[in-house]
Amino acid sequence: MNNYERYMGMVKGEQVDYVPRIPILMHYAAKHIGASYADFAGDYNTLVKANIALAEDFGVSQLDIMSDPWRETADYGAEIEYLETTCPQCLKHPLEDSKDLSLLTRPEVGKTTRLTAAIKAIEAYKAYGYKEYSITGWVEGPAAEASDIRGVSNFMIDLIDDEEFACELMDLCVDVAIEFAKAQIAAGADTIGVGDAIASQMSADMYERLVFPREKRLVDGIHEAGGLVRLHICGNTNHILPVAASLGVDIIDCDWMVDVVKVRELFPKNTVIAGNLDPVEGIMESTPEKIHQNFIDLYHKVGNPYFVNAGCEVPMDTPKENLQALCKPIQYNSSI
Amino acid sequence: MMDLKDLTEAIKTGNRTQATSLTQEALDADLTPQSILDAMVVGMDEIGDKFKRNEVFVPEMLIAARAMNESMAILEPSLVKSGYKPLATAVIGTVQGDLHDIGKNLVSMMWKGSALNVIDLGTNVTPDKFVAAIKEHDAKLVGLSALLTTTMPSMKATVEAIKSEELSDVKILIGGAPVTQSFADQIGADGYSPDAASAVDSAHQLLGIR
Repeated sequence: MNNYERYMGMVKGEQVDYVPRIPILMHYAAKHIGASYADFAGDYNTLVKANIALAEDFGVSQLDIMSDPWRETADYGAEIEYLETTCPQCLKHPLEDSKDLSLLTRPEVGKTTRLTAAIKAIEAYKAYGYKEYSITGWVEGPAAEASDIRGVSNFMIDLIDDEEFACELMDLCVDVAIEFAKAQIAAGADTIGVGDAIASQMSADMYERLVFPREKRLVDGIHEAGGLVRLHICGNTNHILPVAASLGVDIIDCDWMVDVVKVRELFPKNTVIAGNLDPVEGIMESTPEKIHQNFIDLYHKVGNPYFVNAGCEVPMDTPKENLQALCKPIQYNSSI
Repeated sequence: MMDLKDLTEAIKTGNRTQATSLTQEALDADLTPQSILDAMVVGMDEIGDKFKRNEVFVPEMLIAARAMNESMAILEPSLVKSGYKPLATAVIGTVQGDLHDIGKNLVSMMWKGSALNVIDLGTNVTPDKFVAAIKEHDAKLVGLSALLTTTMPSMKATVEAIKSEELSDVKILIGGAPVTQSFADQIGADGYSPDAASAVDSAHQLLGIR
C-alpha cells in the first residue's frame, strides 16, 4: 500500500495498513533542504524539492503547496516582501485604504505569477509521484482572503461597519478560489486545503451568518471539480465547529486547543479528523517516545477515520528524531 | 450634570460617533479629564470582560478600541494639561518572525486605557529591539505577543535577551493563541495572559499597582 492508497483508503473508510501522516512543515521543509524561506515561498522548484525531500526522508503521506498566506493576495496586487528566514510579509494590502473592488487585479492561472507557480508545483508533484502520494493544493478561505486583501483589523471592522461590502469582497474571494481550486485539481491535486484562520476570531453567530455560506459555496465548488476538501482553521475553533460541521468537508484539521472527541460527535462520521498535538510542547519539545505514544493514544481516542498531524505547523527547530516519531507508522485499528 | 454612563456605553458598544461627541461634551461641561478617562476605561473593562467570557469576539473588541482611541485623541491634551501621569511605561510587540498584530494591538489599547504609557514596537520585533526600547524608555513592563506556534521560540530568545541584560526590574508578560502558562513558566516569563482583557489585570498585578 503506497501513501496515496493509504490516504485515499482512510478517506473512503476502508481498511488501510497504517495511519497516514500529513504534518504542516513549511519552515521545517525549507530548512531541511537548506533553502531560504524567500526561495521556498517565491520559487516553486524549491517548494517542490523541499516537500519531496520530506516525503522521502520522513514518509510524509502528501506533497503540498502551502508556503504562506499571500499567494492569492500577491496576485490581487499586494506588495509582498520575501524574507530569508520566515514567512513573506505584506507591505501593502491591495485594499488597505479603499473599498473599491475594481482596484483589484483578478488572480488568474496562466496570467498572474503566484497562482501559476502553484499549478507548476502541482504538475511537478504529478510528474514525480502521481497516485503514490496525495497531492494537496491550497486556497485561502473567504474570511482569510478578505482579511489579507483589506488587512485583518480593517476586515474585522468591516464585518460590523459595512457588512454589505464585507460580503461582496468575500464573494469575490470565493469566485477566485473556486477557479484556482479547479485549476489545481486539473493539474493533479486530489485534495484542496482551505485555510480560513481568521474565522476562529469571530462569534459563532457572525460566522454562521456571513462566513459559513461562503465557505459552503467554496466546499461545494471544490467537490464539483472532483477534489477532496481539507479545512484548516488555526486556533480555538470550538465555538464555530458546531456550525462548520455542516460544511461537508472531507478532512478537518484540529488545532491543539480543540476538543477532538467533541469534533467526532459533531461532524459526519466519515469526516477524517487530523490533529492535534501541540506543535511546540507536544512535538518540538517532547521526546520521540512520548510523541509516538501520544499519537497512538490520540488515534484511539478519536477513532477512524484519522490522520496524524500536529495542531498546526511543526516549528522548524523541531529535532529530526521528533519529526521521525510523528511519522512513525501507527497500525490501523479496525475496531475503533 | 452630564452622565458619563452614556460615554461608557458608547465605548463598550463601539459607537465612535457618539463616544467622541460625548467626550467633547464632557470636556465642554468642565468635567475633569480623569473622570472622563475613568468612564472610558469602564467601557473597555466591560467589553473586555465579555471578551474573556467569549460573549464577544475580535470584531466587537476592535470597534470598542477604535471608539476609545478616537475619544482619547480628543481627551489627551486636557489630560496632559491636568498633570495626568501614566502609572508606568510598557513596551509591547509581536516577536521576531511573526507579523500578526491584532492581539498585540488590543492589549496595547487596553493598557493605554489602564493608565500605562505604551510604546508599541509593531510586529516582527527582534530581541535586540525589545532590549533597546526597554532601556530607552525605562520601561517596567514588556508584552510579547505571538500568533504562530513557529514563532514561540522567538519569545524564549527575547526573554533570554532581556534577562541577560540584567533588567531585573522589568516584568515580562506573554500572550497569543498558542501560548500557555506552562510555556511562560518554561521560558522564564513573569506572567501569561490568555486574552487582551486579562492582560490589564496581569500587567497591574506584575507592576504591583493593584
